[in-house]
Amino acid sequence: MNNIYITSGSCITPIGNNISSTKNALKNNLSGIKLHQEIGFNSEDFYVSKIDKITDNRFFSLLNLSCIELKNNCPSNILNSEKTIVLVSSTKGDINNFPTNPFEKIGPFLIKNLKLKNDPIIISNACISGVVAINHAAKLIKSNQFDHVIVFGIDIVSDFVLYGFQSLFALSNEITKPFDKNRNGINLGEACCSIILSKEKINQKYHALYLGGSSSNDANHISGPSRTGEGLYRSIIKTISIAKINISDIDYISAHGTGTIYNDEMESNAFDRLQLSDKDINSLKGYFGHTLGAAGILETIVCLFSMEEKLLFKSLGLENIGVSKPLKIIPNNFSKDINYVLKTASGFGGGNASLLLKTLNNEN
Amino acid sequence: MSELKEQLKAQIIEQLNLEDINITDIADDDALFGEKFGLDSIDALEFIVLLEQNYGLKISDPSEGKDIFYSVNSLADFIEKNKN
Amino acid sequence: MKIKAICKIDSNEIIVNEQVVYYNNSSSTDWKKIAYQQLNFDYPKFHKMDNLSKLAVLGVKYIEQAVDFSSFKDDEINMIFANKNSSYCSDIKHYTNYTKNNLVSPADFVYTLPNILIGEIAIMQKWYGENNFFIHDNFDMNFFLNQINLYFCENSKYCIFGWIESNEEEEKAIILFLEQDNKSNFDFNRLNNYL
Repeated sequence: MNNIYITSGSCITPIGNNISSTKNALKNNLSGIKLHQEIGFNSEDFYVSKIDKITDNRFFSLLNLSCIELKNNCPSNILNSEKTIVLVSSTKGDINNFPTNPFEKIGPFLIKNLKLKNDPIIISNACISGVVAINHAAKLIKSNQFDHVIVFGIDIVSDFVLYGFQSLFALSNEITKPFDKNRNGINLGEACCSIILSKEKINQKYHALYLGGSSSNDANHISGPSRTGEGLYRSIIKTISIAKINISDIDYISAHGTGTIYNDEMESNAFDRLQLSDKDINSLKGYFGHTLGAAGILETIVCLFSMEEKLLFKSLGLENIGVSKPLKIIPNNFSKDINYVLKTASGFGGGNASLLLKTLNNEN
Repeated sequence: MSELKEQLKAQIIEQLNLEDINITDIADDDALFGEKFGLDSIDALEFIVLLEQNYGLKISDPSEGKDIFYSVNSLADFIEKNKN
Repeated sequence: MKIKAICKIDSNEIIVNEQVVYYNNSSSTDWKKIAYQQLNFDYPKFHKMDNLSKLAVLGVKYIEQAVDFSSFKDDEINMIFANKNSSYCSDIKHYTNYTKNNLVSPADFVYTLPNILIGEIAIMQKWYGENNFFIHDNFDMNFFLNQINLYFCENSKYCIFGWIESNEEEEKAIILFLEQDNKSNFDFNRLNNYL
């Protein structure tokens, strides 16, 4: 049986500067979202989730911190192997140095820092980049081109992106409330995390089996989701089929849940169409903010935490559910043995993506 | 007022890239977000930019826009009422 | 893998399967608008798109003159694209808006992601297939084919692949309609010079 193992590599977030501290912060329901004054286009205050310790050259400082942790967690014989490749998921790269090309220095930086044998592959597919990159990593392993694929997800909070979301009236004027009836937008966040897919079980604490994943476009609108969640619906159907499980097997869903009126409503519609309304579900955006290209990686790592610790985390920000279809949103942390976890993502450009993980047991 | 309306029509065509549409194609009372012009939610937000850039009028809640941007007539009324 | 159709676009001409289908003989800098009008395809949204999306959409529509897309299922064709400069042509617009013009335009901002062009194709064609966008230093067909191959499966043996660049110096694109074929031994590296 050709298993694909998935494990955490690094986790630099606004609530923790490594895997362990991020996990503990989640356990304590801590949020990294804070009011920042005068950061809006007309000096308005906005809630964002930033990593305080990075100050200059923020993108590469953040990437560097993540590499340092990864090097502590991943054996160097894997990092330096010919059969290892790195993928990077990022929506805007080092956008603070625009108009310099925001992506061109990433590959050389990682090659030097991690002593890689192969050029990294960069994926930029809006907010689904992270999930898509993990799916792409699995395909690279299944095709026998590589034995190990390390997937980085990274984006930083920037004026470029903040002003843009502000012009779309997509930023909330308070801390984001995914799925809540009073929700009114996102909080931007930043993070750099890495996750390792491998043919081998690397001796890491948080690991699971990757069973499959897919993406599907809504074919509806470039910045608003399909009302019926058509793309998300199709992606989940495809993912379940690749994973060879039944919809009813799913124990927990880590949703995209950005806190906008339209996204959360769309997700409730898609999940309802799939008869997933009674599955434990949360959004993690209330802890980290929306970390864009990092979200898929970070939130999948949190799935690994949940699976290993048998603990589901409270969906922060929810007081009263406010979507058309029922959802079993996690109201407080609680213990649960989970086997099959579905992670979903949706993004600008009409993209939707999903992946399915299975808890490792003694047989694996 | 009619000069303002003609000006608005020209600005709308330019701001929203309505390439195949002339000023004469937009009637004062045409529903701007009806079938005729194929405008979407992003266009609605661009109206907010248009009002601020060209007339110094700020709309802080896009849902207010629905009535204001209904037609060239309603836009002109809004500008006249608020220009000072 | 087999090439079912190939479209090359630059500001001088559009070529499909090695035949010139559009030649820019006007002095107008808005050659993409004229190329669109020649298509006799009524799609007003075209004019709202950014340069990257316009190039991609023109590529797909000109290829459609050689391929009957209606014979395919709506999720049978994957959409994989790549370039070096991401959404530079829109990034610079948005950046200039807020640094020099004291405004932010949502219509400009929504195009500041390279994958939006995939969304525009999907909306136009009503395609629900897999999609991905790679940022890569150069036009290297060997690399792209390796990635495209990974998305072929039982239910989707086709892919629209495009390399689309739009910046201050030039605009160019190459779009391929590909079919999975394990027996084909076409040397795709020949295409590296075609662009």
